[in-house]
Amino acid sequence: MCGIAGIASLEDISERLVGSIRNLEYRGYDSCGIALVNGSKAIRVSKNIGTVDEVGAKENFSKLKGSLGIAHARWATHGKVTKANAHPHTSCGKGFSITHNGIISNYTNIKAGLLKLGHKFSSETDTEVIVHLVEEYYKKLKSVEQAFVSALRDLDGSFAIALVTKHEPGRIYCARFESPLLIGLGDDANYIGSDFSAFIQHTKSAVFLEDGEYSIVTHDSHCIKRISTGETVSRPVQELKWDPEMAQKGGFPHYMLKEIYEQPQIVQNALDIDRKLIRGFAKIALEKSRLYITGVGTTFYVAQLGQYYFSQYAGLTPMVISSDEFRFLAQVDKNCAVLALSQSGETYDTLTALRHAKSMKATTAAIVNVMGSSMARMVDHLILQQSGPEICVISTKAALSQMIILARVVLEVGVMNKRITLKQAKTFEKEIGQLPGAIEKILNEKSGFIHSIAKTHSKIRHWLFLGRGRYYPVARESALKMKEVAYVHAEGMPSGFLKHGTIALIDDRLNSVIFTPPEEEKQLYELTLSSAEEIKARGGYLLGITFKSRSKEPLPFTDQIVLPEAPPFIAPFLEMVVAQLLSYFTATTLKRNIDRPRSLAKSVTVA
Amino acid sequence: MAPFSSTRPNPMIPVGGRYVIDRTVSMLYEAGINSMKLVVGHRPQMLTKHLSPEHPTGMAIHFIDQGKQNGIGKAMLKARDQFSPGEHFVLVYADTLTASNIISVILQSFSLHNEPTAAICLTRSGEKYGNVYLGKDMKITKIIEKPKLKAGLGNYVLAGVFVLPEAFFGFLEKSKGNMEAALKHLIKKQSLRASIWGDDWLDMAYPWDILKANQMVMDQWKEAAIHQSVELSNTKIKGPVRICEGADIRAGAVLEGPAYIGPGSFIGHNVLLRPYTSVGANSVIGHGAELKNCVIFPETVVGRLSFIGDSVVGEGVDIGAGTMTINRTIDKKEVKIKEGRTLVRAGLNKLGAFIGDGAVIGASNILDAGSMVQAGKKIPHNCSYPAKR
Repeated sequence: MCGIAGIASLEDISERLVGSIRNLEYRGYDSCGIALVNGSKAIRVSKNIGTVDEVGAKENFSKLKGSLGIAHARWATHGKVTKANAHPHTSCGKGFSITHNGIISNYTNIKAGLLKLGHKFSSETDTEVIVHLVEEYYKKLKSVEQAFVSALRDLDGSFAIALVTKHEPGRIYCARFESPLLIGLGDDANYIGSDFSAFIQHTKSAVFLEDGEYSIVTHDSHCIKRISTGETVSRPVQELKWDPEMAQKGGFPHYMLKEIYEQPQIVQNALDIDRKLIRGFAKIALEKSRLYITGVGTTFYVAQLGQYYFSQYAGLTPMVISSDEFRFLAQVDKNCAVLALSQSGETYDTLTALRHAKSMKATTAAIVNVMGSSMARMVDHLILQQSGPEICVISTKAALSQMIILARVVLEVGVMNKRITLKQAKTFEKEIGQLPGAIEKILNEKSGFIHSIAKTHSKIRHWLFLGRGRYYPVARESALKMKEVAYVHAEGMPSGFLKHGTIALIDDRLNSVIFTPPEEEKQLYELTLSSAEEIKARGGYLLGITFKSRSKEPLPFTDQIVLPEAPPFIAPFLEMVVAQLLSYFTATTLKRNIDRPRSLAKSVTVA
Repeated sequence: MAPFSSTRPNPMIPVGGRYVIDRTVSMLYEAGINSMKLVVGHRPQMLTKHLSPEHPTGMAIHFIDQGKQNGIGKAMLKARDQFSPGEHFVLVYADTLTASNIISVILQSFSLHNEPTAAICLTRSGEKYGNVYLGKDMKITKIIEKPKLKAGLGNYVLAGVFVLPEAFFGFLEKSKGNMEAALKHLIKKQSLRASIWGDDWLDMAYPWDILKANQMVMDQWKEAAIHQSVELSNTKIKGPVRICEGADIRAGAVLEGPAYIGPGSFIGHNVLLRPYTSVGANSVIGHGAELKNCVIFPETVVGRLSFIGDSVVGEGVDIGAGTMTINRTIDKKEVKIKEGRTLVRAGLNKLGAFIGDGAVIGASNILDAGSMVQAGKKIPHNCSYPAKR
């Protein structure tokens, strides 16, 4: 996902344009850029890597001037995060500049043709072919509109495009196909944007482009035409009271829920990560005499879950240390590998741990979501998790993605270590492949029930989250979710711990959740149930998250959320999704500030 | 909705001092819609009279008489010729209520893709509604009718607010006016996107839902508002209490918010209004009466020294002095209400009486928990002298 914006006016609009992409940063924030047209002089392009404010400082956005321009906020998925790859892209003769959101699927063919014609490319992006293509057509047709439309007709894939040119300095050409784009009509300027948060501060009148349409926008006019036929389309202007944040949430009330719902896709993305990359890290993990995994907060629990998977499926127990404690506990030297986990790649504590590891000559690796982040740049071995921007402060999809990637590493190590056979590894991988469908099923069939349980128990101020084995880190992570988003005290612990003290707390003001494995994991299952019995015997409320079982025996839960049968390998991930919803609905019932909980920040960059 | 449905349509029920229909019209207007078609079926003249000649918002309202009441789909078909091909329109069920503006939310979701959109929400009684399945990109893939919530199933339900294309009438026609079937056609032939409504939502199906709706509205109130015409002396006010123009509040009244006192109403000496009480326009609450969590419609009289709790009292009702509503069972268990031969569980441990429009209740009566008094019914005084024969 990327964001595009544009403004046509007679006044200086540079500041407004910077504001536009700042509002679109939720669509991507690894790099950004602006192209301003000043009469028939060359188009001025300023772009770099980083957030809008960072790039603004580097490229002196505040000094820019211009009355017409386009801008772009990028979220790299395949090309690297580099200045050259940032948009806008410019044609060879500097006469055209373009920004694009989407994927041009036939760009290699087009590029090959253009290279033959002598075009020089300065980036690795698919976008750049469009601007060269327009330039090529312009040479022949001598009409910008004709050239633009001819180029569009050559493109396969999805796009929202904005183009400016020195040949017609008062116009923005734009088009859409399967990527959003709309036009905003203001008093002294007209706007375009990926959504209305691009121009909401300036106008509330908007016209929507539909797939297969293009538009020419000037400071006081706009027209819409079909790409295929060129016929003019009339479209009414809509006057609506927008809440820009609503648009960004795309039909969900909160980013948290949106991101929970993105998880099926995120798992798929994690499965699509190049095997070579996973295997490369697996080799390091095995070659080194010691493996550390570090993270803090949610990523610490992800690491802990990884530890259980390593132990159970790869015959290896890595040391897992919370990154804020890493310096005080880890004995690192050149025979060690240190794997760090961080969504932002900027977490201060984890960066410090990595720096410490590096200074001791250890091999470093990281699983991060943000390309170009400090961690991504400093480690020897990087796995990018491809989870898309995570906006809610509470991590859901990014954490699940890291778990899946770790599980994939475990399978590779397990095979290399001869702990599991290649065939077994393939079976497990197939099981991960069932996750998207299984998560979708939970979201579709259990949301109402989980919501109802959350509502009934929203007044409870203390929870215990219990689990054994791989379900123990899941319990801890789920308890953290409850604390973070609902401000409700929750403690995650191994259920075996109960009788060694904590059980004294059980009364009618303390609720418990127990994460139960599928019946197939017999020993774990029975041990978990015996802990459940202990709570039941003391009259405490106990919510069981469990899988459909074949035995008819009643389970010792007060309430239970029964999930469809699932293979043990992926079962903990599914129970975690249930707990995400439980925390979310508890928080909505308590009217908490879901996406920005008090005292929390998305990326903790301080000690 | 008995005993109220015999005399009025659901949209003409007041909650938090305003009729449900007025809330819907304002919500639409605030979301940028200035023209609406209102299909009226049950007691249509009540709605047309209330909304004519002009709505205070300036909304242009065109009334369409449904005639025979035969379901949502057929009601919609009556409005078919009001829309032109290619147009999209907002469809709102007039008896759903939301804590904030659901229309602007769905319109914003709609505008992202310009595709048919349905608002969906979670309710604790999901088993009563069509549950939706969501696929990728919030597209509704199927609608499951009334799943078993007790068996642990349940998901978002259709919230009764849609943005639909004019072509939807074609699907309705095909399905002979069956709304569910038409939606399924739409999902199959085009698409239907979901817009998740995360705030409170209520479908007014039972009379006690009026109390829930009233609470939902009043929970949004943050401050007290007292009209400048109102004189207060020795009145204690706590919390968000709204007192309208011309209300006459006598000394010694204790008003605990959230509460609403309609225009021209009279609150006698030493009256105690407890939270979530709404007193309709021109109603009279006699000396020393206690009202708690109840909705009193306009033009109603509650005699002195009465207690009305967890109850709904219709329009033009006359309650004699010293009348008590009982609002719980003796064993403090869930109140069950008799509906014909079946017992309906209200899911509430405190529930009083539901008194239909124009009923007259003699002095000194006691109304049992969950009792229903039909509209226009006369209950004699409960006299001890002369002795009853």
